[in-house]
Amino acid sequence: MSLMSWLRSPAFSVFLTVGAYAVALALHRRWRWIPPIVAACLPIIALLLLMREPYAEYDRGGNLLTWWLGPATVALAVPIYRNGQRLRRSLPRLLGIVFAGAVVGMTTAGLTAWLLGAPTSVVMSVVPKSVTTPIAIEVCRELGGIPQITIAMVILAGVLGATFGPMVLRLAGVRDDRAIGVAVGSSSHGIGTASLVRRSEMQAAVSSWAMATSGVITSLLAALLALFLR
Amino acid sequence: MNTLRGIAIVTGLFLLGTLLHRAGVPIPGGVLGLLLFYGALTAGLVKLQWVEGAANLLLRHMVLLFVPLTVGLMEMGQVLSRQAFALTASLVVSFLAVLLTTGLLGRWLLPFAQEAEAEPCAEQDRAEAGR
Repeated sequence: MSLMSWLRSPAFSVFLTVGAYAVALALHRRWRWIPPIVAACLPIIALLLLMREPYAEYDRGGNLLTWWLGPATVALAVPIYRNGQRLRRSLPRLLGIVFAGAVVGMTTAGLTAWLLGAPTSVVMSVVPKSVTTPIAIEVCRELGGIPQITIAMVILAGVLGATFGPMVLRLAGVRDDRAIGVAVGSSSHGIGTASLVRRSEMQAAVSSWAMATSGVITSLLAALLALFLR
Repeated sequence: MNTLRGIAIVTGLFLLGTLLHRAGVPIPGGVLGLLLFYGALTAGLVKLQWVEGAANLLLRHMVLLFVPLTVGLMEMGQVLSRQAFALTASLVVSFLAVLLTTGLLGRWLLPFAQEAEAEPCAEQDRAEAGR
């Protein structure tokens, strides 16, 4: 019996993944420019390729972690509730803005991919790309997309927002802390929000409210879209 | 102890959302759970301090939860290279569209609600710190 078939157990995948994530976090703490998601995934992919392990085998354990994205979605009620309380006065306006952002995000992403000739499964995978990963995955599955593509798009949207979001907004003359927060949260969810934490508490609070709310609105719109497509 | 209670509440609501979804509600189970959770917090059925620890744990380490799916990109090479242009264009166009729509709407609409913010916000923080 080879070492590999002996190691075949969901526990091995979970151990490997949590271990790689812990190391990635440590690397990220030391060198800020290393994104934890990339630092966690690359060694796992390298190891699987090296051992000629099929992804499906790894995912028997990986699944156990993926499942927790469901409870993580539920937990997003906490930032909506906590930050919603302190934004009470501007809440109706913020809600309108987030709604507009969700409509624009879904249509521009889907239409651009469709116009460039992407097949339906790819078009459906990019539709939820502006929202936080757990909700984007659920929306992607409802629409018949490919979750892996959605994840890659979501992460890249987050990185774009964290890197260029505040700069683009400054060029557009947007200076209000809440406006910056709602824009970064709507366009680049948690990754964008995390980048605002060190800039301003108000920006981060609005951003975290916007990312969760935009996820809810997007999933409601996608449910309508799915009914319409059926 | 509090974290455990929070995890029980969150997974319980996820279960409830999943069951409702299975019963025919066309919204994903997790989002249904989120809406129920928000309702329970607003109605005071669930106290924020019961669930904050669990929610922070799940949200702070969310990246860990999507590592397995991201590793799955290793099998997507073909689709990704064939659709590279469509995907990149869609990403950049849609990112800028959302960022500018929301940012400019915010610049236009939010100043009207400005003055109301500062005071209640600081009071809220004090009240929360006191708890």
